[in-house]
Amino acid sequence: MKQLVTLFKKEMLEMARNFKWIWVPLTFVLIAVKEPLVLYYLPQIIDSLGGLPEGAVIELPVPSAGEALAASLSQFNTLGVLIIVLITMGTIAGERKSGVTELILVKPVSYAGFVTAKWSSSMMLIWFSYFLGYFLSWYYVGILFEFIPFADFLQSFFVYGIWLTLIITIVILLNTFIKSSGAVGFISIGIIIIATLLSTSLSHLLAWSPALLSAYTNTFIIGGNFPDELLPSIIVSVIAIMFSILASIAIFKRRELA
Amino acid sequence: MPVVSITGLKKRFKEQEVIKGLDFQLNEGKCIALLGANGAGKTTTLKMLAGLVKPDSGSIVYEGGEKADFRRFIGYLPQFPVFYEWMTGREFLEYAGQLAGLPKAEAKDRAKDLLELTGISEAKNRRIGKYSGGMKQRLGIAQAIIHRPRLVMLDEPVSALDPFGRREVLELLNRLKKETAILFSTHILNDAEEICDEILFLHGGELIESGTLAELRTRHQQAKIDLVFKANTAEYAEEISLLPPVSSMEVNGDSASFLVNDIEKARKIFLTEIAQRKWPLVKFEISRTSLEDVFMKVVKK
Repeated sequence: MKQLVTLFKKEMLEMARNFKWIWVPLTFVLIAVKEPLVLYYLPQIIDSLGGLPEGAVIELPVPSAGEALAASLSQFNTLGVLIIVLITMGTIAGERKSGVTELILVKPVSYAGFVTAKWSSSMMLIWFSYFLGYFLSWYYVGILFEFIPFADFLQSFFVYGIWLTLIITIVILLNTFIKSSGAVGFISIGIIIIATLLSTSLSHLLAWSPALLSAYTNTFIIGGNFPDELLPSIIVSVIAIMFSILASIAIFKRRELA
Repeated sequence: MPVVSITGLKKRFKEQEVIKGLDFQLNEGKCIALLGANGAGKTTTLKMLAGLVKPDSGSIVYEGGEKADFRRFIGYLPQFPVFYEWMTGREFLEYAGQLAGLPKAEAKDRAKDLLELTGISEAKNRRIGKYSGGMKQRLGIAQAIIHRPRLVMLDEPVSALDPFGRREVLELLNRLKKETAILFSTHILNDAEEICDEILFLHGGELIESGTLAELRTRHQQAKIDLVFKANTAEYAEEISLLPPVSSMEVNGDSASFLVNDIEKARKIFLTEIAQRKWPLVKFEISRTSLEDVFMKVVKK
């Protein structure tokens, strides 16, 4: 346990030293807040940019508050996911490739602790950034459109967070047996795209798929209700997360580290 | 008492069998050199001992390793150590110490002592990314011994250093010898002779010779007589090589070397023969073959 704290502190320090604690939250805020702002000011933006014939009247449907917030979530689902993969794809693979692990893992370091520290520090950074971005987006939606009940915000925040957690966990799992961080990133993105495509096109068969959590959250924000398939989807996700963590540890233990 | 016993160790990488069966023991408090040419299997052997590479067969048994994690007992420095470049030297040592199980305060103290012992304390608050090669090597040694292991393994600790750095590291190892057993690999016999008690000589993945320096000398060194004549050394040498005590001969320009079995008898015979035949002898020298000669011979075989 004491060792886990040491490992975890090192990860935190590293993230501070290379400014991840600044730019990751900042990026999440930017991509989230951009949506309600753009949606609200779009008529003015088009107007001030000009280029429209004299006398043309712009009639854009005013989006609802739910649609504006859902737009932020869909940004997380593309750009956000990409950033998550980019910042975690080298967390173990990079250290192994550089050779630092040769110094660290000949010390009596628990393999489970090593993987857990990597996972929990990534979780902390991403959940913090995700919360900040999503919260500010909710706030601006409230100011510019109307306030969505905070409890609804929290529910959607946690439900969609499960999908992000699963992504982090999969990237860590790939890290334990692939030595090149580029390959880890590529395969992670591939898995996410395939899972999303399959789940949305075969949604009647794969209603339990974790990749549908974002769709369910969208339905909830816009329509006010989660579909019935939410629960199986959450259960499958949690099982997949736990299984991936255990598998990561088991694989990492058995790997030759040189 | 052995710190570690190795039996029947084998390792194959794809087609090539790199380690073809090693058996040896390392005893407490000894300094042992793992000597061999490039590609002899030194690094692989050390990595297997450090647990970084799994052997195909054979066993590595650390004393006390059944009950506790054997990594407690060892310190390891790879040939090209890589650190967290964003850490300072002091931070890295404290981190390594804590990972090895030292309480925080003790890790701090040890780190401070070792920074001084290895002579990099004035750079302790600088980022490791800015360290020179020699400083990294010394930081590497410091992190390997921070938890006072029973056995320290160093992979080519001096090969990449300039003569200055090499001397300093060798002196550092000499001091460490009092505290812990050291196993270090090198391809330079001189380094081994300088600080080691024992030598393990690895060639083509096999242990072809081992023992203390004294044992090796008595086992391998042969008496040698060097002769130089005023002219035609080769001709005279040819005739002398027919004399009974000579086991082998080598001519290098003006001088000729003869390996002999019995030095006293050889001297008498040589001198009487040369005097009787009135050959123009210029130089007569009795010497011994060096360990270097011996190892060169073994490697070439």
